Amino acid sequence: MIDFHIDARSGIAPYLQIVGQVRQALLLGLLTEGDKLPTVKEVVAKVAINPNTVSKAYRELEHQGLAAGKPGVGTFITRSLGQASLAEHGPLQQELRAWMDKARAAGLTEPGIEAMCQKTLRESAEEER
Amino acid sequence: MIWVTWRQFRAQALAGLALLAAAAIGFLVTGLGMHHSYAADLAACAPLHACDGATPAARALGAQFSQLQRSYEPMFELLQLLVIAVPAMIGIFWGAPLIGRELETGTHELAWNQTVTRTRWLAVKLTVVGIAAIAAAAMLSWLLTWWAGPLDQLNGNRWAAMTFASRDIVPLGYAAFAFALGTTLGLLLRRTLPAMALTLAVFVAVQILVPTLVRPHLLPSTTTTFAINEATTSQFHDFRGTQTDFHFDLPTPRGAWLTSQPPVLNSSGQVVRIDDYPDCFPDVPGDVPDVGRIGACLAKDNLHETVTYQPASHYWPLQWMETGIFLLLAGALAGTCFWWIRRRQN
Amino acid sequence: MSAILQAHELGKRYRQRQALTDCTLEIPPGHVVGLVGPNGAGKTTLLKIACGMLAPTTGRIEVLGGQPNGGTAQLARVGYVAQDTPTYASLSVADHLKLGAKMNPAWDAKLAQDRIEQLDLNPRQKAGKLSGGQRAQLALTVAVAKRPELLILDEPVASLDPLARRGFLRHLMESVAEHDTSVILSSHLISDLERVCDYLVVLVSSRVRLAGETDDLLARHHRIVCSRRQGSDLPAGLEVISAEHTERQSRFVVRSEGELPAGDWSAEHLELEDLVLTYMEPPVDRGGDTAMQPTGEAR
Repeated sequence: MIDFHIDARSGIAPYLQIVGQVRQALLLGLLTEGDKLPTVKEVVAKVAINPNTVSKAYRELEHQGLAAGKPGVGTFITRSLGQASLAEHGPLQQELRAWMDKARAAGLTEPGIEAMCQKTLRESAEEER
Repeated sequence: MIWVTWRQFRAQALAGLALLAAAAIGFLVTGLGMHHSYAADLAACAPLHACDGATPAARALGAQFSQLQRSYEPMFELLQLLVIAVPAMIGIFWGAPLIGRELETGTHELAWNQTVTRTRWLAVKLTVVGIAAIAAAAMLSWLLTWWAGPLDQLNGNRWAAMTFASRDIVPLGYAAFAFALGTTLGLLLRRTLPAMALTLAVFVAVQILVPTLVRPHLLPSTTTTFAINEATTSQFHDFRGTQTDFHFDLPTPRGAWLTSQPPVLNSSGQVVRIDDYPDCFPDVPGDVPDVGRIGACLAKDNLHETVTYQPASHYWPLQWMETGIFLLLAGALAGTCFWWIRRRQN
Repeated sequence: MSAILQAHELGKRYRQRQALTDCTLEIPPGHVVGLVGPNGAGKTTLLKIACGMLAPTTGRIEVLGGQPNGGTAQLARVGYVAQDTPTYASLSVADHLKLGAKMNPAWDAKLAQDRIEQLDLNPRQKAGKLSGGQRAQLALTVAVAKRPELLILDEPVASLDPLARRGFLRHLMESVAEHDTSVILSSHLISDLERVCDYLVVLVSSRVRLAGETDDLLARHHRIVCSRRQGSDLPAGLEVISAEHTERQSRFVVRSEGELPAGDWSAEHLELEDLVLTYMEPPVDRGGDTAMQPTGEAR
């Protein structure tokens, strides 16, 4: 069962954070088709947030076609993200590893590497839009 | 709601019960002994028709009774005081915290937001603890009235302030009043300790004022005026005098309550002094005065003395009336509590 | 369903001071409402009037469509936990549950029992010996187990440590999720409430400064940075909430009815905390920003 966490300072609306965490879990293979998402009650009992936030997130997932609610039973994942799991991308990961070694040799520390990755990711995402 | 009241009252109730049980045991243990002695003394004098101390033999037997009275006197006073103090204790320890403690600690905010109206909450609290208060007072009063039976008989004075207030039904009225007083003060002051102190103060004030200012006037008393002459004074027991006035101990019906005994007055209504009649009063102090002769001497001066008393037959009516008055006061105080609790101020 | 709370020009005056002035609110049902404001703003007064502990001096109020002092029917529908979560110090946890059962016909004993077990409270322990957090949880359990439609909580987490605070809010949200309870909770710190509230009321100096759904409020407020200008120079339809000026720059917090029109400024949304803080400051006239003051706030 997936556990959610909310970062109040991230600037991202809480319900979107939940949606994002479900998507990430799907990407990492932690959730697959047919898996049951925790009930609203279960989520708020662990994370002190408004139940409407969870409902809104689940509705968004339904809207994105990733989940469907069965009344009285729960909300279930309806499909995976149509993307091969990361495990299948060995060569890509090796390339990434090689780059990281280069970055460390150039003097970048971990925070520096992370910052560069995030910045580049953001820029490329914006360009794509 | 009854369970809630009981649960909050439990500690005080058990303490009260323990004290009551201890008192009952004390009463019984000492009382049975005293009653036994009294019965024995009666048994000794009755066959001789000597119980009232008229003959020398009777006087000797009468000494037994005095002995009885004297040996139980301290306990008698103490127990009377106890039975009068208990309503005060009830007002202080059961009444003042009843609402006062809730307001002081803020728990009323918990209690008043359950599905019970404030009126019902107050009504149950007042009723449950009030009944306990009256029952406790009734128990003690009954015990004391039984215990003091022989002594009251010998003293022949049911009207003494401490005696009237600790016998029969009046203690119930006091208990109800003190309880309602404590509760009301706790409610108004919202602090337990000041409410306790004020309850005690008011109760003591009432106990001091009522016997002198209220009780004598609840029913019409009888007034008799005696002219001072030999015929009348020979019925008198004694006279008492000070620098400024004097009076005779006048005969009143048995068991009556003397509510006023003004000094001897002359025909114009002025107070007269012993010094005004030097030839009638013996010079030598210490001699037992011949009251009849004094009366004969004073007859020409047209003096008189007035006495006011409540006859013995008024004892029970006055008990009922006083109890009733205090119950009414208790009711008025309770009504104040209900009225106050419906007002929603801070 | 009727509004949780409907107030019309509600006012409350104590001997010397005015605790509430002209409060008009209409809070729709199904929300967790955060009542925020500085100490002394009137939050406790408003909540006490809502649950019937106090009577208003002027104006009207309706809670769940009924009068706050409307007898046992109203008392059953509204639960209240006062500031400092009062409990009976000499009564045990189990005694408190029994008190709840005896005083509330709609008492859910199983819910109460489950909650106490979940919280790991010893039923025999006297409430006076519990920690602050545990007492708050006990008071909340008693309020929740009577199954009210509306829960009113006055600064419930103010004196709790962060762990107890989080536990309390989790417990509360669980109840809301399970029973569809509406909640009004007050605090002088928005950070306590921003996770759980979806409706906000800001109360400052006895007046309502802001009220609305949090998503809606966040969408309508913008922080605008532009070249130095007066508030009245901004397009109509933008209400200036606050203004700050430097020699060359002006910063406004504005509220728009619809979409923010395009303009020569950079605009961003505010965090909830910033929004609340903006409204807690004294209100500014629409164009009333005055003399030049370097990095100061002209009001």
